[in-house]
Amino acid sequence: MSLAFTTCGFCSAGCGMYVQVEGGRVIGVCGSANHPVSSGRLCIKGWNATPAILGPDRLKKPLVRKGDRLEPVTWEEAISFAASSIRRILDDVGPQGIGVIGSARTTNEECYSLVKFARSVIGTANIDGANRFSDFSLVPGLLATTGVPASQVDINALPRAGSMLIVGANVTEQLPHIGSRIEQAALNGCRIISVDPRVSRLNPHTHMWLHPKPGTDLLWARAMLKVILDSSSYAETAAELGGFQELKSSLGDIEVSQLKYSCWLEPEDLIRATQILADNPPVVVMFGLGVLQQVNSTELVKALADIALLLGGSVMPLRGQNNAQGASDVGLACDYLPGYAHVSDPAARKMWELLWNCKLPAEPGLSAVEMVNACGSGELKGLVVFGENVALSAPNTQVSMDALRKAEFLAVSDMYLTETASLAHVVFPACSFLEKDGTFTSIERRVQRVRKVVEPVGESKPDLEIIADLAKALGSEISREPAKILGEIAANVAWYRGLSLDKVSEPWGVQWKIPEVEPTLVLVADGAYQEKAEYPFLLIASRQVYNQHTGTVSARCPVLLREYPDTYAELNEADAERLGLRPNREIRISSEHGSILRILMLNDGVPQGCIHVPHFFGGDSPNALASYECDPISGVPVYKTCSVKVEAVK
Amino acid sequence: MVLTPSKPLRMWGVTDSPSADLYVPMIAVIEDIIDETPDTKTFRLRFEDDEYAQSFSWEPGQFVEVTVFGAGEAPIGFASDPAEKRFFELTVVARGKVTKAMHAMQKGDRLGIRGPLGNCWPLEAMKGMDIVIISGGCGLAPLRPAILHILRNRGDYGDFWLLYGARTPADRDYKYDLEKWAKRDDMHLLQTVDVADENWTETVGVVTVLLEKIKVNPENAVALTCGPPVMIKFSTIELLDMGFSEDRIVTSQERYMKCGVGKCGHCCVNHVYLCTEGPVFTYAQLRALPEFRL
Amino acid sequence: MRESEAAVLKKSDVSAFFGSLASDMRLIAPKEAFGGDVIFDAIESPKDIVWDYGHDIYPPKRFLLPHYEEMFRYDCRGRIHIQPAPKPSPQAIIGIRSCDISAIRFQERFFTQPIVDPYYKDRLDATVLFGLVCTKPPRRECFCICCDSGPWLESGFDVQLTDLGDRFLYEVGSDKGAKATEPRAYLLTPARSEDFAERRRLELQADSLFQTTSYIAKAITYISADEVPDEVWEELGSTCFRCGACTNLCPVCTCFTVDDVENTDGTFSRCRSWDSCQFSGFTREASGHNPRSAYGQRVQRRFYHKCSYQYIMRDGRHGCVGCGRCITACLTNLGLPDVVKRIRRAMHAYLEPETKRSEV
Repeated sequence: MSLAFTTCGFCSAGCGMYVQVEGGRVIGVCGSANHPVSSGRLCIKGWNATPAILGPDRLKKPLVRKGDRLEPVTWEEAISFAASSIRRILDDVGPQGIGVIGSARTTNEECYSLVKFARSVIGTANIDGANRFSDFSLVPGLLATTGVPASQVDINALPRAGSMLIVGANVTEQLPHIGSRIEQAALNGCRIISVDPRVSRLNPHTHMWLHPKPGTDLLWARAMLKVILDSSSYAETAAELGGFQELKSSLGDIEVSQLKYSCWLEPEDLIRATQILADNPPVVVMFGLGVLQQVNSTELVKALADIALLLGGSVMPLRGQNNAQGASDVGLACDYLPGYAHVSDPAARKMWELLWNCKLPAEPGLSAVEMVNACGSGELKGLVVFGENVALSAPNTQVSMDALRKAEFLAVSDMYLTETASLAHVVFPACSFLEKDGTFTSIERRVQRVRKVVEPVGESKPDLEIIADLAKALGSEISREPAKILGEIAANVAWYRGLSLDKVSEPWGVQWKIPEVEPTLVLVADGAYQEKAEYPFLLIASRQVYNQHTGTVSARCPVLLREYPDTYAELNEADAERLGLRPNREIRISSEHGSILRILMLNDGVPQGCIHVPHFFGGDSPNALASYECDPISGVPVYKTCSVKVEAVK
Repeated sequence: MVLTPSKPLRMWGVTDSPSADLYVPMIAVIEDIIDETPDTKTFRLRFEDDEYAQSFSWEPGQFVEVTVFGAGEAPIGFASDPAEKRFFELTVVARGKVTKAMHAMQKGDRLGIRGPLGNCWPLEAMKGMDIVIISGGCGLAPLRPAILHILRNRGDYGDFWLLYGARTPADRDYKYDLEKWAKRDDMHLLQTVDVADENWTETVGVVTVLLEKIKVNPENAVALTCGPPVMIKFSTIELLDMGFSEDRIVTSQERYMKCGVGKCGHCCVNHVYLCTEGPVFTYAQLRALPEFRL
Repeated sequence: MRESEAAVLKKSDVSAFFGSLASDMRLIAPKEAFGGDVIFDAIESPKDIVWDYGHDIYPPKRFLLPHYEEMFRYDCRGRIHIQPAPKPSPQAIIGIRSCDISAIRFQERFFTQPIVDPYYKDRLDATVLFGLVCTKPPRRECFCICCDSGPWLESGFDVQLTDLGDRFLYEVGSDKGAKATEPRAYLLTPARSEDFAERRRLELQADSLFQTTSYIAKAITYISADEVPDEVWEELGSTCFRCGACTNLCPVCTCFTVDDVENTDGTFSRCRSWDSCQFSGFTREASGHNPRSAYGQRVQRRFYHKCSYQYIMRDGRHGCVGCGRCITACLTNLGLPDVVKRIRRAMHAYLEPETKRSEV
């Protein structure tokens, strides 16, 4: 019987948890009492998902496609097959014919090694991470404003906030530990302004709930900036920030009174909300995927950051996956190098070229979204995917799956035979966070140790080993030791300076310090979602507490799956009546790009003219309705507003 | 006399635990599978162990926990004649993981059985009274043992009315029995469907419509109901209107069940564990439970 | 040694005493984990025992009702072969507090009457409980005195230890305790009146140090009579995170779910694991109907099970031992004392709306 301590691999709160293993099976799990985030608690996923991680259909052997079937093979065969396929493509068309997509769930060391593998071993610029499908807009958005693409606020500082502006985030379900602090803050008198088109479980704690029309957030955000500036409610220090005058003049033409028609918002409500924030410092501005996957997401991030800066407050972007922060910190992005230097920065390129012994292009390569599409067009011949169910996290599932099918060479490393893995030519069985060593960086910049608690299932290997094996087969060396790799990261990424595996293994990890950066106020462009007449409903997509991402792991736990086995969607009662739709019956929701089936439920917390579609396990995700239209700056697809129509299924 | 369901003679874990382990099932073989409706099958089962099969007995209203090896366990009520010793039958609708797996099984396959569990219809206390049985859809299954017992001991009971409703004529269970029962002159069988086919000559409408046609003395009658919750609700209201007292309306309550022996907590309604103290209750007993909603 | 004959164990002999016990059974005791956490776990040596721990966060109930437990294993390829799980080996839980022992006695009654659960019974039969009296409430959230389950017990323990400074008062409370003590009784000396006096003094002192109280009696009255309006439950349920921590960490809670899990070797294990009435899937039927679909109904369920007269009659005592874990573990504020207080206040307003609300 052994009780091992590690960091939870589900959401970005980064709870410390104990896992008890006996006979290779998890027989117990509990939260650490003294850990600053878990404080003795876990959420429904933390308590229940460990059996799902070690589920019976875990991939135990590498697989290679022979004919139309995936057959188990030895590691040697799988690696050599992959290496020779990559070499063939390199010979045929060169490195730009290969793409690599990494995960926001693998360790920092694995993400960094994957970047190295792509840029220096293969030599391609087409390296990107799963963040591109979710939260990447916060990087350009915050780099331009606060200068720090991460949370400026610690989780335990939240109960002391004076007021909060929470936009597009169902925090209580997505990040329960942060939701718990928000509730604590509310009980301490913090004024919480929530902006969300529908009623969520955050509502009991909110002081004011604004529910603008989906897709119009830039309009009210710019209006809020104008209100702050016109009423001189900004903090004293804000007037001295760079960009202040320019911002002020750029908002001159906004008519706050028009919000009622353009945004479904009463102007008095917006003014009152703004006043509440201004009167109750310190202000924390939080935003989740409701912003980050929205139309014009980067502009929206800038607007919200400007609001925070004007009010003298701070920003907490709510990224969900356990290592979303770490993955982007170590450069798992087509347009950034580790430490957030843009690829166009010659000094940064020179430094990394020296370290990695390779050439780095000044232009960004293809993003993860573009890579999937490029498999279909033939621009990309080979795609290597580590730990991400791209087929379901990419938009327009139909087009994405067809594109992946067309790829000449698709290699996937994953724990289970996901939808993406089942399309691959070679599948590598990967380890879960319970079976490997490394580090994760949580939402509050806390770099924490992940410990091996159980022996790898079957012949599965940590992604780090798989990357090193592939590199070796292609004639290069990549380290297999997390300590060494973290040491290299620490030596070359300013914000990770001084970190070592030993240091982060001590309680309770190490938070990297916010750098001294001058924040700037930036101009925010205008824009709103263009509705389509034949598709009269606006989609509101969300997540449930018991479901994680595409549900690969969470669906395999009987208790989590039991929570809501039927996939449903919610309409306002009046809308349902108008369309003649009855509850508990199947409906078809379609956009220009795809359609999904759901069971209808009625909920007046959903505004009229909208349909609420939660993510569930597996296929039929609302992603199928989204197009390849992306935010122009960050390249993140627009998942969170879409015109759809709703009809009964006969 | 206030009617309460009687304690059964046998209950797994209380009177006997043949495998000396409360949770380990006995093995039974599928002797036959009868297709009742497109989504319902009746499984005829016999215990592998002959001695156990000989000594096995149960009462109408009781149920078993069926193990489909590789899938899990689910509670299913007995659906055959309790006097039949050579086999017992379970009628199963394919709804969840376990029942769907069961439907994929063949004759000769083996299942695990733990039982008998639960209490039974108050057939002793009902002697000498008029009987009204109201059932709908697959709710006829837990009542079938009671019906067969009543018919086998016809002299012990007064007038016997059986009311049965289904969605369509094809969706009725035990059509072979219904045919026979319709011809009997010692009972009244009234059937109804929601949607008729071209051959249907009987009533079309909800089951409660049939209640208007029965003639019993409510002072000396008992009603047994089992079926969809909405049917039970409106039948109960109608029966009370007709003068039945609350203890003379008996039903088999349904809840999600797991262990079947009063430990896992899933089937509780207030402080009552349905698997050990039910599933058969009178309306009077249920009304005393705040969580119970008609 | 006869039952209820008290003795004294010098602290300097503790290592020898429990070291000798280790040859008969596995020792489980509060052990230092990571970063100041203390968790009950198997110990290598009596020196690892952390005697002055606050509560551990993972209740020792898991040594009797494991978080994930294999019931039996079966192979259904070919002839069906069922293999029971191995019988549990003897274990001693040292340093378990009075609240947790009271909870075990509650669980013992639940699992053995009227039907005997073989797995719980076997584990309990193989377990000796060496309770540790709390000379002061270990945490702010403790309220065992409100629940008649501490800080010391008159009965229910196998052995009860009270820390008297340089020695422990050693009381045997059962045959099992006597049997475990016998081989090492030579290390004990008879207790004297000064020892009892010191214990008495500590008992009286402990009573006054509790910081959390819970007037459960009032809640029992309202809940048993189903007088708490639905709106109150809805309001309570509106912030529930549905994590199940309250039921997982409650030493009294017993609900479990059963699943057949495939093993890597092709056999299946029927496993039971802790379940929670706070999950919406707990009562959902195959048809999709859910009698407790609202959060408020599930919170009501938890408190009915903990605080109703009907369950007290059924179980012999009410379902809370005042350990305070649900207060710490809850991501919102649905620990038992909080809910009891809010019910009381809500009922006060509900029953006497014209009366000015007094400070409660």
